[in-house]
Amino acid sequence: MMQERQNSSRVGSDAPLLVLQNIRKRYGSVLALDDVSLKVNRGEVVCLIGPSGSGKSTLLRCANALDIADEGGVIFEGKSVDTRSAEETRRIRQRMGMVFQNFELFPHLTTLRNIALAPTTVLKLDREKAEARARALLAKVGLSDKEAAYPSMLSGGQQQRVAIARALAMEPAVMLFDEPTSALDPETIGEVLSVMKKLADEGMTMVVVTHEMDFARRVGDWVVVFDKGRIIEEGFPGKIFDDAAGERTREFLRHLGWHGESSGGRPGSTSGGDQK
Amino acid sequence: MTISLAPFANNWFFLLKAVWITVVISLSSMLLGFAIGIVVGSLRTYGGKWVDRILGFYVDTMRAIPLLVVLIWIYFAFPLAIGISVNVMTAAIAALGIHLGAYVAETIRAGLTSVRRGQMSAALALGMSRMQAVRTVILPQALIRMLPSLGSLLIFAIKDSAIASVIAVPELLRQTQVVAGKTFRPFELYTGAMLIYFLLCFPVARSVDRLYRRISFLGSS
Amino acid sequence: MNLHWDVVWDNLPRLLAGAWMTIWLSVVTMALSIPGGLVLAFMRLSPLSLVSKPATAFVEFFRATPLILQIYWVYYVLPAYFDVQMSQIATAIVGLTCNISAFNSETFRSGIVSIRKGQWSAGRALGMTDIQILWHIILPQAALRVLPALATTWVSLFKDTSLVSIISVPELSYVGLKIRSETYRILEVLTAMAVLYWLMGYPQAKMVDWIHRRFKVVE
Repeated sequence: MMQERQNSSRVGSDAPLLVLQNIRKRYGSVLALDDVSLKVNRGEVVCLIGPSGSGKSTLLRCANALDIADEGGVIFEGKSVDTRSAEETRRIRQRMGMVFQNFELFPHLTTLRNIALAPTTVLKLDREKAEARARALLAKVGLSDKEAAYPSMLSGGQQQRVAIARALAMEPAVMLFDEPTSALDPETIGEVLSVMKKLADEGMTMVVVTHEMDFARRVGDWVVVFDKGRIIEEGFPGKIFDDAAGERTREFLRHLGWHGESSGGRPGSTSGGDQK
Repeated sequence: MTISLAPFANNWFFLLKAVWITVVISLSSMLLGFAIGIVVGSLRTYGGKWVDRILGFYVDTMRAIPLLVVLIWIYFAFPLAIGISVNVMTAAIAALGIHLGAYVAETIRAGLTSVRRGQMSAALALGMSRMQAVRTVILPQALIRMLPSLGSLLIFAIKDSAIASVIAVPELLRQTQVVAGKTFRPFELYTGAMLIYFLLCFPVARSVDRLYRRISFLGSS
Repeated sequence: MNLHWDVVWDNLPRLLAGAWMTIWLSVVTMALSIPGGLVLAFMRLSPLSLVSKPATAFVEFFRATPLILQIYWVYYVLPAYFDVQMSQIATAIVGLTCNISAFNSETFRSGIVSIRKGQWSAGRALGMTDIQILWHIILPQAALRVLPALATTWVSLFKDTSLVSIISVPELSYVGLKIRSETYRILEVLTAMAVLYWLMGYPQAKMVDWIHRRFKVVE
């Protein structure tokens, strides 16, 4: 079922960086993830798409152990992750960066301190080095002039860019994006996506849960389609978007306004089901 | 009815020292209460069910027993139980602090649980331990959000300091009683004491209000 | 250190009588302080400065000064200067009522004010008079809203009655301290006194928690 994925020039040829194997996760009586497996190679941009509630975000949170799977395991950088060990959990979280739908910047700290906090407390960097790193990252996301501002003074797009810089400050091996643009106004989505594209071009390994089909098609190396806790289809973006195989996939894409070319509109957020 | 300001004029230094003692007791008990409250509140929120229950017993006990009784017990009964005598200031500050600490703990607990859960996720995702996350991300926001409640607890600390008068701590109320006894002018003196307490509490309330208005945005998630 | 708990058992009737006085004082004070607080709240909400300013002054004063001092003030000052002769219990009730009414007025005032303005508009649009709106629409909603705060104030009041021991009102603290000075069994008597307060106060504190949970306001 898994195709050869070495076509893209960006993808490395050594062992996969992140593997999630046979993940099963229940919330009460609901089966959020039903025997889901995912492989992410170094340098790849993997996009997870699908209706709301289909399990994509849950899978992402299982990767960095914010949620613990009931069954199945995570293999990161070649080693199996023991999620029962707090020490190891923290260690792998340092190697993975996560960007949240609601940004989750720390409102009581300036932008600079938001980015420099984890390097100082977790990596034990001294303050000057951490802040220098933070400044460099702020410049990278185009917000150098906002270093003394507090999050409540920034727009949504600006906050999300700071959140990306905050995650990058830990120098992670892989970046996990959980619907990074779903809470943004249409005008500011573009600025965040272009930062993400820049990261991808630089070779960062990324796993992105998104409704932005255009981004998935143009920047993604591999697209995985979810529905009701299972992967119903996965493949190269060209195949999924241009000559999509499965009927459910086509239906989902249609529902989101994808008509086979670059879509400008924002997708609806209800899971497919009101179409016949 | 004649009103004379003579009792104040003749005893102003005596009363001023008493005001100082009141301030010292209020601040000390607030500090102690704060320290106890932050620890207890955090442990109750993050320490698991049994810790929550045991510390909940302390909190609910302080809510059930009057401060006067706690003070009397600490000054008179506690030394008998452990064999060490306690001086009045220590007893007063300990009683006030322990009693206040329960209320501070509840306020802190409310504050910690009011912070968005995503903040903890974000901190953990960066590789922080839970304790680091609470210390650097959750607790600061909780304190800012609870500033008005904490401010009114400070007012309580100032007012409750007067209860220490029953064990003869030389704070404002006690010394007012002494002067009233000497000069036979209770109206002027007790009214004056009320005014002084008012002048201590009112600015504190106002300042906390103003401070909160200026920094509340730092706590909004 | 040997403990003689029989002192406690011998004096239990007196202690229980003191506890009963504590309860009685609390009930009477709250019964007087609810209308008292309502009157003060309406005075503060009045558009007439002549009415609102004195009420505000009264409330701010009684909230910002210690209750124990207020009790002394009422006890020493009223009979001496205002030619009013009152028993100790009456004095205690006057002091407690003024204090609790002040706190209640704040509770009631913010409860009334917190009802959305739209409710007034809706009532007016239906042609109701302001009094009708107040009675049928605003106060019922406000009553539910203030219940948690009133419950908290009740528990405070219950504990505050201990302070009237300083003017020799025979509530639990006064009785306890008297027995202590008679028998010199300090640890036993004081502990028994604390336990009695705990037995009365703990369930009340739990009840207040329940009320807060049950009547939580979600807009």
